[in-house]
Amino acid sequence: MLKGLGNVVVKEVKELMRDPKILIGVILVPMLMFPLMGLAVRISMQTAAESIKAMSIGVIDQDGEEYAQNLTNIFSASNLTVVSLTATNIEQAAEGIQESNMTAVVVIPEGFSQNITDDKQATVHVYGVFRGTGIAETAGPSTVVFLISQFSEYLALGKVEGKRGILNPVLPLQESIVKGKVVSVSPSVLSSLVLSQYIGLPIGITMLIVFAMQIAATSVASEKEEKTLETILTMPVGRFTILLGKLAGSVIVAAVGAIAYVAGLNYYMGSFTFAFQAQPGIDLASIGLAPNLTAYLVLGTSLFVTLVSALALAIAVSSFAEDVRSAQTIVGYFYFLLFVPMIVLMYTDISILPLPLRLVLLAMPFTHPMLAARASFTGDYTTAVLGIVYVTAFTLAVLYIAAKIFTTEKILTMRLRLRRQKLKREE
Amino acid sequence: MVYAVEVEGLVKRFREILALDSLTFRVDEGKIYGLIGPNGAGKTTALRIISTLILPTAGSAAVFSRDVVREASEVRKLISYLPEEAGAYKNLSGYEYLQFMGKFNSDDKRNLKTMVEDAAAISGLGERLRDRVKTYSKGMKRRLLVARALMHKPKLAVLDEPTSGLDVLHSYHVRGIIKQYVEKHGVTVLLSSHNMLEVEYLCDQVALINKGKIVAEGAPAELKAKYKASNLEEVFAEVAGLA
Repeated sequence: MLKGLGNVVVKEVKELMRDPKILIGVILVPMLMFPLMGLAVRISMQTAAESIKAMSIGVIDQDGEEYAQNLTNIFSASNLTVVSLTATNIEQAAEGIQESNMTAVVVIPEGFSQNITDDKQATVHVYGVFRGTGIAETAGPSTVVFLISQFSEYLALGKVEGKRGILNPVLPLQESIVKGKVVSVSPSVLSSLVLSQYIGLPIGITMLIVFAMQIAATSVASEKEEKTLETILTMPVGRFTILLGKLAGSVIVAAVGAIAYVAGLNYYMGSFTFAFQAQPGIDLASIGLAPNLTAYLVLGTSLFVTLVSALALAIAVSSFAEDVRSAQTIVGYFYFLLFVPMIVLMYTDISILPLPLRLVLLAMPFTHPMLAARASFTGDYTTAVLGIVYVTAFTLAVLYIAAKIFTTEKILTMRLRLRRQKLKREE
Repeated sequence: MVYAVEVEGLVKRFREILALDSLTFRVDEGKIYGLIGPNGAGKTTALRIISTLILPTAGSAAVFSRDVVREASEVRKLISYLPEEAGAYKNLSGYEYLQFMGKFNSDDKRNLKTMVEDAAAISGLGERLRDRVKTYSKGMKRRLLVARALMHKPKLAVLDEPTSGLDVLHSYHVRGIIKQYVEKHGVTVLLSSHNMLEVEYLCDQVALINKGKIVAEGAPAELKAKYKASNLEEVFAEVAGLA
């Protein structure tokens, strides 16, 4: 029944993969864009880290007593290059500093040590030096302030004879409850993880579907644009086979694009892990926040059926377009089906929405992989499986319509009609 | 008697426009039959119906007794259609294109190889067949397409303006190939053209179409004699009331 399918699929893949627009836009860009962004993050983080290591600060010690000396020693002990400035005040020092590589200047005023001895609050002036060279500039003053606060805490502990309870009478110890189990991970750490899933996944899924639809739209429209459709429709091959071949070719190319996309994204996310040194000792799987095998299977299936439905939809609607550009425009009209669930699900949970809105969202096929992505973390597979069933039914309905268009003369007469109208106008 | 093409009272209406108005003609097997007429006469519409691309509003058309509507998939096994504005897949090489199209007509690898070799010879493109179609000139592309249309020796080749857009040399080459295929392989050809000289040279029988209707039919020599004309152009002008 599907004789010739392999032939059509191979040709589709060749044509699509050799199309510079698709090769660049769908495969090379996501493959290179994310790693390049990651590389940029990595390089800037590395540079910042190195510049912190080699950071130099200036100190104007107007006090010259014991505690001022101790503070300067703490700076030196923390790998900061400390330059003792001979200027008597900051205004004098300011001009020369701009030419140096100092990122901060600390002025320890006279009476600093005496104030500490007398249990009065002592002050230190910290000046950040800005030359407009980038984000690393902020690291200097903040490192100095951090060291001063450490010094301050050390002094305070000495004064209260090590009784921390006096310094911090109440200390919150933060933990979380995940899926009914108490885990000793701070909520702030988990919330950043949840945020990355709630925002990152819908965006990722949306981008994947958008470019898959562009591929499928190109696949049919280019046959019209290049005037190859009429010939292939008269070949001894079923029209449904041609349709399936186009769909399969687009699925294959979209899958290659998806792999390129995921690989690029993975590298990109990895650069952040590198930068922030993700909190060690948190095993996401053991606290139930990493997807298990079932979750991956459900999510994978949901993504796959949604991808096929998106492609079928794109092929069906682009059949009416005259050329590639108009096909992509027509397909673009359907992006709201993607963006609405993406934005809504980014900010809220579907279960708390009013019923009519919930039904509208559930009717949109592209809502379901986003729900499946969430379900893979919450373990609520029923919703995900029902979603897969719904999207499959939607896909079959769209395929049926697409096949109808392909098996009738509509696919050609749309153009004919336009031409006739044009001719008539000319007359 | 079985005709290669048998068209009876064919009508095609696109909304308010009547493209074909009760068209009737028959094509004998192994002959070249030409539909000639000005732009918009209905030639392409007739060829598209016979090639199973569009449906008639009324009337019937059959290819070797197979109805083009009810037995469309059987008709597609017998025919080869070359549209006037046909293109080839620009990201495939000439060879890949011929192989892709050839596979629909033959499962046998050896047969496919012979077909592609024949097509390569017909096209006369030589080594350029290894290059991508997007690098071809208009003439080269048309030669590739004509080769594709004839390579599997279809029972009926439906050629819409086969030399469309070709220069004198390319046109001469293509006409020679068509004639040779009919004589050597018994292929029946139904073609359309508004190049009267081409039709006179190629066709055994012609039908002059105007406004969706046949206004005259016969062998070129017969028509010229009947209307005392020196060429088919004069015949057409006479029957269309332009003279």
